[in-house]
Amino acid sequence: MIYWGGNPAECHPRHFTKYTIMQKGKYTQNGRKDRTMVLVDIRETPSAKAANLFLQIRPGKDFELITALRALIKGQRVNEDAVNETGLPLSKLEELVAKMKAARFGVIFFGMGLSMTRGKHMNSAAVLMLAAEMNAFTKFVAMPMRGHGNVTGADVVMRYTTGYPFGVNLCRGYPRFNPGEFSTVDLLVRGDVDACLVLGADPGATMPQPGIDHLAKIPTIVLDPKVTHTSRLARVHITTAATGVSAPGTVYRMDEIPLPLRPALKSPYPTDEEVVRRIREAVKRRPAWLPGRNGKAVM
Amino acid sequence: MAKKRYLMNAGRTTKQGQQINHGKDSPEYLAITTTIFMNADDMKEAGIKADSQVRVRSDNGEATFLCKEGKVPPGIIFVAYGPPTCKLMGQTTDGTGMPTSKGWEVEVEPVLPV
Repeated sequence: MIYWGGNPAECHPRHFTKYTIMQKGKYTQNGRKDRTMVLVDIRETPSAKAANLFLQIRPGKDFELITALRALIKGQRVNEDAVNETGLPLSKLEELVAKMKAARFGVIFFGMGLSMTRGKHMNSAAVLMLAAEMNAFTKFVAMPMRGHGNVTGADVVMRYTTGYPFGVNLCRGYPRFNPGEFSTVDLLVRGDVDACLVLGADPGATMPQPGIDHLAKIPTIVLDPKVTHTSRLARVHITTAATGVSAPGTVYRMDEIPLPLRPALKSPYPTDEEVVRRIREAVKRRPAWLPGRNGKAVM
Repeated sequence: MAKKRYLMNAGRTTKQGQQINHGKDSPEYLAITTTIFMNADDMKEAGIKADSQVRVRSDNGEATFLCKEGKVPPGIIFVAYGPPTCKLMGQTTDGTGMPTSKGWEVEVEPVLPV
């Protein structure tokens, strides 16, 4: 298994023990001893200790390295000088290719070191291509290491309700998808939206500053169990029960397996779902802003 | 002479994740998100003393951090995500919906005591 641009020892601390290298499988009865783990990163993170092979590459050279690997697995010639630019000698790449081909079942877990740096979605696409092409030799898959709890759940539900995972515009009454145009960061940084409902997120502590400044200018409503940077700049903060602790729900694992949550505690606060449902009911009672939408004309 | 530019890489740490659950107003969270880690040789070259205050400037803004020696390759600065990195990070998404949250060029200078 290859971890690329991710640091599971710190960011997904249960991944090694509960999901990947330490687990015993039907064909890997010896657990860790039957597995080979490779880590590709630009710095030696705590995850490097768990790896059989740690490959430290130069920042921003992921795409080049993946492209070289794609050529090498097919036995094509690669320019050694171009490979050296990635920070790794050709011999290391050949060693990695040999390990990948020798695997009975390989997986590439790619993190934000790949998807948030120069190249972004092109890097992710290259990794997916590499995994797909490895299937000419052995079974290989690729899976993203997500950044926050249940991001996968948001993607899955958006996908089965609208057909797209994120950045969906419903203004015309049907879903349209265009990252860069309808995605949250772009809408806020450009100042396109004039109201915002924030649910289970803290963009005030994570987004680019112009986006945060815009959230402070417009009516922002936050649903969160805690006071956050976003709730401070919001006009309205509705305290809600913490999902999984005092509110039920479903979370999706990073491999898209849905898991039901049973709350262990009772909360005096409503759940996110209840608040959204009540807002929706209140909105429904108001006259439509487009003629004919709910049978009432615009006044 | 143009100042040397470093590549700033923001990421998550376990301690930061724990502090998010304690609350983002805690002094521990504040300390974690306002501390950068630099290569020891880079610090010497830039005239930065260990555990001193530095000003970090990107094309988008500037913020002040505590600078510590860390196990990072030359030319790279590691920092935990937080409100200060919001000021520095890339503001466009290049049509992907994802801002450049890692790997922006920055300049670093020591904050001289007043």
